[in-house]
Amino acid sequence: MENRVIKIYHGPQHPGITGNMSLELDLLGETIKGARTHVGYLHRGFEKLVERRTIIQAFTIVCRICVPEPDPNEENFARAIETLAGIEISDRAKYIRTMVLEMARVASLLLWIGGQSGSIGLGTVGQWSLFDRDLILDLFEELTGGRVYHMYIYPGGVRRELPDGFLDKLFELLDYLEDRLPLYDKVFFENATFKKRAIGVGVVNRDEALKNGYVGQVLRGCGIKRDTRRDNPYLVYEDLDFEIPTFNGCDVYARAMVRRGEIRESIKILRQIIEKMPKDGKIMQKIPKHRRFKIPKDDTFVSTESARGEYSYYIAGDGSEKIRRMQVKGASLIHGFTLLEKLLIDEELSNVAMIMNSLGICPPEIER
Amino acid sequence: MKFSLDIKGSITPFVAVGRVFEEPKTICYPFEKKEIAKGYRGFHTNSLDKCIGCANCQDVCMNDAIDMIPIKEDRNPKNSSGCIPRIDYGRCCWCSLCTDVCPPSSLKLEEDCIWASDDSNNFLYMPKDK
Amino acid sequence: MIEKLKQNYEIEEKNQRLFKIRIKQEELITVISSISSTTNFITLSQIACADWIEDEVFTLNYILTTDKRDKNLMVEISIARDNSSIPTLMKLFPQAEVMERDLHEMYGMDFIGNPTLYDFALEDWKEIPPLRREFDTLEYVNSNFEFRKGREDNRDVKVEIKRRRAEAKKRLKDGK
Repeated sequence: MENRVIKIYHGPQHPGITGNMSLELDLLGETIKGARTHVGYLHRGFEKLVERRTIIQAFTIVCRICVPEPDPNEENFARAIETLAGIEISDRAKYIRTMVLEMARVASLLLWIGGQSGSIGLGTVGQWSLFDRDLILDLFEELTGGRVYHMYIYPGGVRRELPDGFLDKLFELLDYLEDRLPLYDKVFFENATFKKRAIGVGVVNRDEALKNGYVGQVLRGCGIKRDTRRDNPYLVYEDLDFEIPTFNGCDVYARAMVRRGEIRESIKILRQIIEKMPKDGKIMQKIPKHRRFKIPKDDTFVSTESARGEYSYYIAGDGSEKIRRMQVKGASLIHGFTLLEKLLIDEELSNVAMIMNSLGICPPEIER
Repeated sequence: MKFSLDIKGSITPFVAVGRVFEEPKTICYPFEKKEIAKGYRGFHTNSLDKCIGCANCQDVCMNDAIDMIPIKEDRNPKNSSGCIPRIDYGRCCWCSLCTDVCPPSSLKLEEDCIWASDDSNNFLYMPKDK
Repeated sequence: MIEKLKQNYEIEEKNQRLFKIRIKQEELITVISSISSTTNFITLSQIACADWIEDEVFTLNYILTTDKRDKNLMVEISIARDNSSIPTLMKLFPQAEVMERDLHEMYGMDFIGNPTLYDFALEDWKEIPPLRREFDTLEYVNSNFEFRKGREDNRDVKVEIKRRRAEAKKRLKDGK
């Protein structure tokens, strides 16, 4: 029997793929000998669309760039516009924004637990974590009026005042989530099945991690402490006390353990925010009406730490009320191409979904 | 691969079995409905007594979802154009910018958000008068 | 580190953590390789392109980041809008490959030495590259797609106000 390389599409029809993308795999038996990423199933042309709209109008579509965690997009967009227009937002607005970003991070990490456990057949854990994520979405619904697309962080501040008793509800939810975390440990993170599957799989080359521009959990899973919240602080992260979890191993398990630590740190940050948030103060600076809101001819580059790593925007204005150019670089662009194509070589076909999930690849932000 | 027995890791996941005895967390949809939070961005309502037909909502809408159509009977003497907004829900993204710019705050979003129709052309929505 | 760069280049300081230098197109490879080897701006975060159609140029911002990920440096070059080609940075940074592929598709410029300049997100795209300013999305939609019927009764509010004022005046006159 001769050995033949066969080519298969590991496409969006496969439940293990993280969204609308496909991989072209060269298989020798069960082993992958070559991989190529294909995107383009979800290209919506946002970067072109914002060029036709005024700044205020453009704000409503940036959140759609990444579906599981839209808030870093809003924050990046708002911060870039504020930098260009020279608006300084109030302390209270900064705290509210940080709170929204951290809630979104916990929600997104819980969604990731669902994806990662689903990819190795532990479907039950995913059901639980998605239920817990829904509780956070309930709070978002109350705060912003939308469950997934919040459209809340606005150039100049935030759009709505906190509802009555919101912080108390958040506090209760944090207690609940903290009670749940040991359960996830028992069923998922310490599970012998997961350990056996994940340890030593998808090992990232630690030496080239920094130079190749990897971000987020991929770096921290290699034991390199990099986090935009600490390195290039924005909003109120300088005043908050939190650790950056790292883990040595560079493999799928290391990245999972980093995320496990991050949920705990985010809960810690949220508790501090509840304590420190200024009781009053305006949430919104006065900004011009939408046809008169102009930004000067200048450009800027901002980045936010999303649940998948650094998320950055380049925004150039041209002196009019429209944006000349908004270029989005999500965490997944480099991970999905430069890293994934290399990482999959000599892995088994059954590990593809697990590796993709552990890199946290989100196709909508690759093709925008 | 060397086989090594991870006893703790093999036994602890069985705590999941204990959850069999818990009540289901899901809701039985048509009979029991989820309570929608106050301030949810659902369908539009427009108070005809207050609407001045200024078309600010049409101007700010980035999706061109809003048409200004003639009102059947004049309710507000201040409505100088005699037009009121109608929203195309095939295009609306519920960003609520239209309600933000409404000068008399007549256009609002309500909590109701369920729409079912057997005709795909049936997306033009006249805001309820509230 | 920034002081070191200041000796050789004119640095625009956007804020404490964001700097910008402008260089000529021909110097791109030499400057970026010397910056990435002599200072700790070791990684490439993004290649951002903007179309300045009125000046007939694209500006390309190569955004370099330090190994501590705490400072960003934008290296800006201007290139002609048509038939322009720039050397690829793949040899220095492997991640440049996918960024250049994306830009090639969206703007149509050539990166010499990059073998992957084929379809990225768009499939079978025959028009001009979509992010160039002269590509009009509305015109494209109008010529390729049909709008859903039923919205023809939209009125222009300014016209309506004028018409109603004229009618009211007329009524006032007739009343007299």
